[in-house]
Formats: sequence, structure tokens, C-alpha cells
Amino acid sequence: MSEFPALTEDEFRKLCEFLYRRTGMIFTETKRYYVERRVVERMVATSADSFSSYFTRLRANLGGEIEQFVNAFTVNETYFYREDHQLKCLTSDLLAQRILDRKHGDAIRIWSVPCSTGEEPYSIAMWLLENWSLVDNYEIEIVGSDIDTKVLEIAREGIFGKRALMRLTPEIITTYFSQLDEFRWQIIEDLRDSVRLGPVNIVEQNETRPYGQFDVIFCRNVLIYFDDASRRIAAENLYENLLPGGFICLGHAESMSRISPLFEVARFADAIVYQRPFNRGTHVA
Amino acid sequence: MPLIRKSGGDTRKPDADPVSVLTALVNGNPDERWAAARAAVHVTGGVDALETALASEVDPRVREAIFTSLIRIGSAQSVNAIIPLLKLDDASIRTGALDALRAMPAAVRERLPELLNDRDSDVRILSCEIVRGLPGEEATSILCTLLAHEPEANVCAAAIEVLSEVGGADAIPDLDRCAARFPGISFLSFAIKIARDRILTQLTDKHV
Repeated sequence: MSEFPALTEDEFRKLCEFLYRRTGMIFTETKRYYVERRVVERMVATSADSFSSYFTRLRANLGGEIEQFVNAFTVNETYFYREDHQLKCLTSDLLAQRILDRKHGDAIRIWSVPCSTGEEPYSIAMWLLENWSLVDNYEIEIVGSDIDTKVLEIAREGIFGKRALMRLTPEIITTYFSQLDEFRWQIIEDLRDSVRLGPVNIVEQNETRPYGQFDVIFCRNVLIYFDDASRRIAAENLYENLLPGGFICLGHAESMSRISPLFEVARFADAIVYQRPFNRGTHVA
Repeated sequence: MPLIRKSGGDTRKPDADPVSVLTALVNGNPDERWAAARAAVHVTGGVDALETALASEVDPRVREAIFTSLIRIGSAQSVNAIIPLLKLDDASIRTGALDALRAMPAAVRERLPELLNDRDSDVRILSCEIVRGLPGEEATSILCTLLAHEPEANVCAAAIEVLSEVGGADAIPDLDRCAARFPGISFLSFAIKIARDRILTQLTDKHV
């Protein structure tokens, strides 16, 4: 891996505790290799000559190292139209319910969190434009957020490789991307301008609250990295960020029922999602 | 394009003052109590107020927020506030209390001997579930101690079920002694056999 020795048990524990306190993500001994690889990356990047000197830098947040460190630990691999059964569910069922009490021109708000490099919020935008006949009737606001500020920069640029586009038809690619060269495609400016991107740590209420309330939240494959306490806090934050009756879509391996009783299970033909009950009016603002 | 982008202005409110938080926790409507329960984490005297509120809170969602705030505080007093709920008849409250205690293993650890010796066998059964969240060696030691003297077969079964998942080789003699203490209870013998097999399989896998 490098010329750096492996972390001692004590160093590994201290690092994991630090990561837990900052992000809520929990790593155990079974993830030692994953952790060590990223620590060494950051030690090389900061020219630290030992773990001790790096950890001192990290705790003091010299040069914004905490943000860089957290960025190194977040998983950012994704692609367009991933788990598209939930996108089908969005247009076939979820939005139909959300517009029952809306009139033309009203806002529909959708949050993709974490949005990583932007594939998910842009997928939602493309899917709606292609598959929801009522898309012109409402002011649809799509917001993408992530704890990792580096991936948000990538999302803003909207430049993707072939692998990210593997689930898209040539027609979709032609409509919503400009080909830059043989290997890179960029989301067209109109679409990039229609998605708002910003940082958030979903276990920090002060960070989630400013985003306001949404009709639908996509929060896929992040809660699995949290421990019980952080999952509960995140669930309560997301509950506050949903309008009454709003829906939250988790990853296929995740279950809100095991995290929090705040939500009700909503079963549809294409997906099982979770719904904030109507009979409670806890508002963010 | 029919999609819109709004500016992301910071709309956060200033932190609520402690007095209003603590007052709302007791006297507010459910929405206010929910918000106060969440805010109490950051307020001096919050854990006292949460403890008081938990004893009388009837709204399940507010109660959930109180549990989460007590978990976040994670003190001995938080644990003290939750433990009495393990004895209530309401299954949803008991489950909520158990989930909360499981989410704060460091804080609940020193109370486990007392919980595992509680006069109420249901409390002892639930406490076995709390042990599940501890490191394997520690969990094995605690549950084996329980198995050595526990008079109720159902409590032993709960401990054995947890041991089958987290137990190490040290548990095997205690499982065998437990089987010998309850020779006529077939479901326990069966549970012990399953646990033994699982532990031995895990040990074999580790050495492959």
C-alpha cells in the first residue's frame, strides 16, 4: 500500500472514533484495509511523515483537513437511472398522490441526498421530463446534497464517463448530454441549471433544516453506513424535511422499519417506500 | 425547461432559549413537544426534562424523539430514565426503550449486571438483547455468567439465541452445563444444539 506502517490498534480506534463523531459513519476492524488506504492517501497528500503528525493536523483542521478526510471516506460510485424501479414509482404513484391537493403552478420539491457526483438528481430530472406527462403543470424543484464537497463540484460540472451512462438510451444521451470527446459527456446547461446542489450532513439538524420540506426524498445507500444512534437522528431529520404525506425512498437493502417507527410503509407496484403520516404537522420552519 | 432552481438561502432559526424548550416539552402541543424533545439535547437541564417528559408522554412520535435525544446525551442519567420503561405493559414502549438502550451500549454497559438479575424475567429477557450489541468476548462472558444461575428457561433461551450469534468457544462448556440443568425442556436442548453448532461452525470458518 505504501511505505507507512499499518495503524496500531489504538491509532485505528482513535481514527474510527473521530470519523464517527464527525460523520456518524461507523467502521470496525473488518474495514481496516478500507480505512488505512484512505488515511495513507491523506497522509501522502498532506506530506505527513507519521500517523501521529497527520492526526494532529486532522484534529486541528489545518488546511481544512477534516473536510478532505471526510471526503475520502464517502462512497461515490453511482450511475444514471440506478434502481430505476423507484423512478418508475415516482412518476406512476408518488407524484400522483402528492398533487392531489395541488393546483397548476404549485411547487413539487424533490431531494436527492446524498447525491454524490450528481447522477441521481440529474436522473430524476431526466426521468420526469421524459416520463411524467404533467411535468409542465408544476414548478418542480430538484435539490441534490452531499456531505462531500468535492463530489458536489463534480456534480456541478456535470461531466460523466461512459460507465455512468450505461443505463441510458442513445436518445436520452443525445437529448440531455453534449459529447465532449470520446470518453466524456456533459449534462446540457439547461439541465444543470435546473438542479440545486449544496452540502449537508444528514445527522446534523442545523444542516438539514435550511433545506426546508420536500414531497419526495431519495436517500439511498447511506443509512447502512451509520450506527443505530446516527440512523435514528438522520431519520428524525429526514422526517422533518418531509411534508406530511411525503415519501422517502431508501436503497433496496435498507428498511426504515428497522430504523425508526416514524414512517409508514407505502407499497406500490414498482417499489416499497416510506411515508410521513399526514396526521402530524411537525414543520421545519 | 419546466424544472426550476431556487436559491439556497439559509433559513435556519436561531436556537431556542432553554426555558421555552423545557416549557414546551411539558406543556406544548405534540408538534411543540417533538421540537422541544429534539432541542433539549443542547439545553442545560435537558436530560432532567426529558426524563420527566418520558414518564408521561403519550404521543409515540414525541416519545421516539425523547428516546433519540436521551441516546444522543448518552449519560448514566439517560439510561436511568429509560430502564423503568422496560417493565411497562405497553409492548411498543418496551420495544422503544429496548431499541434506545441498544443504541447506547457504552452507557448501559455498567447497568447490565443489575438488569440481568432483575426480578422481572421479561426485563432479563430484554436485557439479553442489549448484550447483543457488545463486543463478542464481553457478550459471551456476560451471558455465560447468566446461564450459570438463571432459573427461567425462557431467559436462558434468550441468552442462548444471542450467544448463537455473538458467542465464542468459551461459551460451549456453559451451554452444555445449561443443557444439563434443564434436561426435560426440549426446546432449550434444541436451542443449545443450534447455538453450539453455529459457534463451532464460525470457529471452523475462522481457521480455514
